[in-house]
Amino acid sequence: MSGLKLRLRSVPVGRLDLSCLQPAQLTAQSQEDVARLPFEGGTLGDLFEITSTNDAGTLVLAQTTLACDGIGDHLASGTLIVEGDAGQYAGRYMKGGRLDIRGTAGNYLGAGMKGGLITVAGSAGGYVGGLLHGEKFGMAGGIIHVGGDIGERAGDRMRRGTIVVAGKTGAAAGSRMAGGTIWAEGGFGPGAGPLMRRGTLIGPKADDMLATFADCGLHDMVFLRLISRFVAAELGPLAPAPLPSKVRRFAGDLASIGKGEMLLTG
Amino acid sequence: MKVNGVAIDDTFAEAFGMSGTALIITADSAKWAMIAATTMTGFGTSVIGCGAECGIDYEIPASETPDGRPGVRVLIFGFSPDAILPQLKNRVGQCVLTSPGSACYNGLDSSQRLALSAGPRFFGDGWQMSKRLGKRRFWRVPVMDGEFTIEDNVGVTTDAVGGGNLLMLGRDRAGLLETAEAAVAAIARVPDVITPFPGGIVRSGSKVGSKYKGALASTNNAFCPTLRGTTETELDPDTIAVLEIVIDGLTSQAVSNAMRVGLKAVTDIGAAKGVTRVSAGNYGGKLGQFHYHLKDYVA
Repeated sequence: MSGLKLRLRSVPVGRLDLSCLQPAQLTAQSQEDVARLPFEGGTLGDLFEITSTNDAGTLVLAQTTLACDGIGDHLASGTLIVEGDAGQYAGRYMKGGRLDIRGTAGNYLGAGMKGGLITVAGSAGGYVGGLLHGEKFGMAGGIIHVGGDIGERAGDRMRRGTIVVAGKTGAAAGSRMAGGTIWAEGGFGPGAGPLMRRGTLIGPKADDMLATFADCGLHDMVFLRLISRFVAAELGPLAPAPLPSKVRRFAGDLASIGKGEMLLTG
Repeated sequence: MKVNGVAIDDTFAEAFGMSGTALIITADSAKWAMIAATTMTGFGTSVIGCGAECGIDYEIPASETPDGRPGVRVLIFGFSPDAILPQLKNRVGQCVLTSPGSACYNGLDSSQRLALSAGPRFFGDGWQMSKRLGKRRFWRVPVMDGEFTIEDNVGVTTDAVGGGNLLMLGRDRAGLLETAEAAVAAIARVPDVITPFPGGIVRSGSKVGSKYKGALASTNNAFCPTLRGTTETELDPDTIAVLEIVIDGLTSQAVSNAMRVGLKAVTDIGAAKGVTRVSAGNYGGKLGQFHYHLKDYVA
């Protein structure tokens, strides 16, 4: 098995659904066979310039734009590298493997994700690790790392898993959250954690904190050591600096059951 | 055969299959990790009378524990995983949860698991919080000095062995105890084993059964020096004391390693401290699945 690189021959004029491009399936075939696969009324070879690489099990998508949706949708194994931007729904319902986006990502990055690792070098849109309309829960496992900022309502109805943001979140991060962790190195935008039931928000500051979060004081918790070490082990050089020994804990959202928490490190 | 003036009996230690688990207990300091570990392994000498056989395996430097604080690894042995579970619940709940600054984690990689947090987490009265990090799940239980952190489950093995043993016979009780202490210290450096009796040493070896109804075991009169001449004896004329080291291990190999270093520690000291003979306890080979022959450990 070798790797494959698919370079878009031209900038797409409309939205392009690339959810069918799975590393495990494509890298198991020859370059020629992949070029003959039917796609959007033509073949993959019509749309992409296809070359083989030496990275076994790795699929590289190059020259992609924010119009390229569904990259890494339901990804279960292998590595998918995006040398460009990714549109909406990247890594949606991902179960395993690794998705590296070298550019920026659109809305719903890792929505409903259950396992694996997503890294985004740039920023990402809204609803990172969230859910789509009509779905019951958002992210349920795995790790997302975003090198820039993320949009509004990250972790909407998130149950498990970890989102690490080197920049800042948009408004209402952790809305309706039921578990998991969002660690924003740049802090939280306005009104974080609305109707949050459980889960953990970690950051240096939070803009316009909701009145329904209660100040529990400054605490030294063993859990801080565990999550610092876990993130360091999973993200390596991308990991944020370990948490300080003490953080200020706010419990909320008390408009819901109030078993979530915001831990402010600043 | 004699080594350094000590006679080595041509016999074997007979041991039994058991189940075992391991915990890592951490605290703010090595002192408090050891206090929690010592307390939770107390009253854990014999599975018959104590429900479990427990002991401290080794201290763990802060750099190697799950939370980066000083830790201690403890081992717990029982007849079966089901028999260990209530012991975990009671010992962790009463002795680790209560100890200032403590946390408790899995210390054994095994596919078979026991619900470590099943009892202690409910002390949180609904305020306990779960946090899953990768494949591991932790519980945070609010307590008066902050939070008690405990891992959700712990590995358990059914390949453990209990009852490896060495019997040391001598003509000087103080010298015999010193020699036994040296053997226990040597065995303590072997990973995956414990010597569950006080200080690792037993002075009341037992035989199966009793003249009294309801007593499962009674004094091993054949090894009691003060009964020599009144009952069948296994002792030499100059023997005035016998001490035993019982060894439990997570694997048979670990018990075997401990038998080897224990016997070597005794023979290295030799007859100088009054030890005259080393033997081992068995039931004729009919009860235990694991036999450790002393002659195999003599260099």
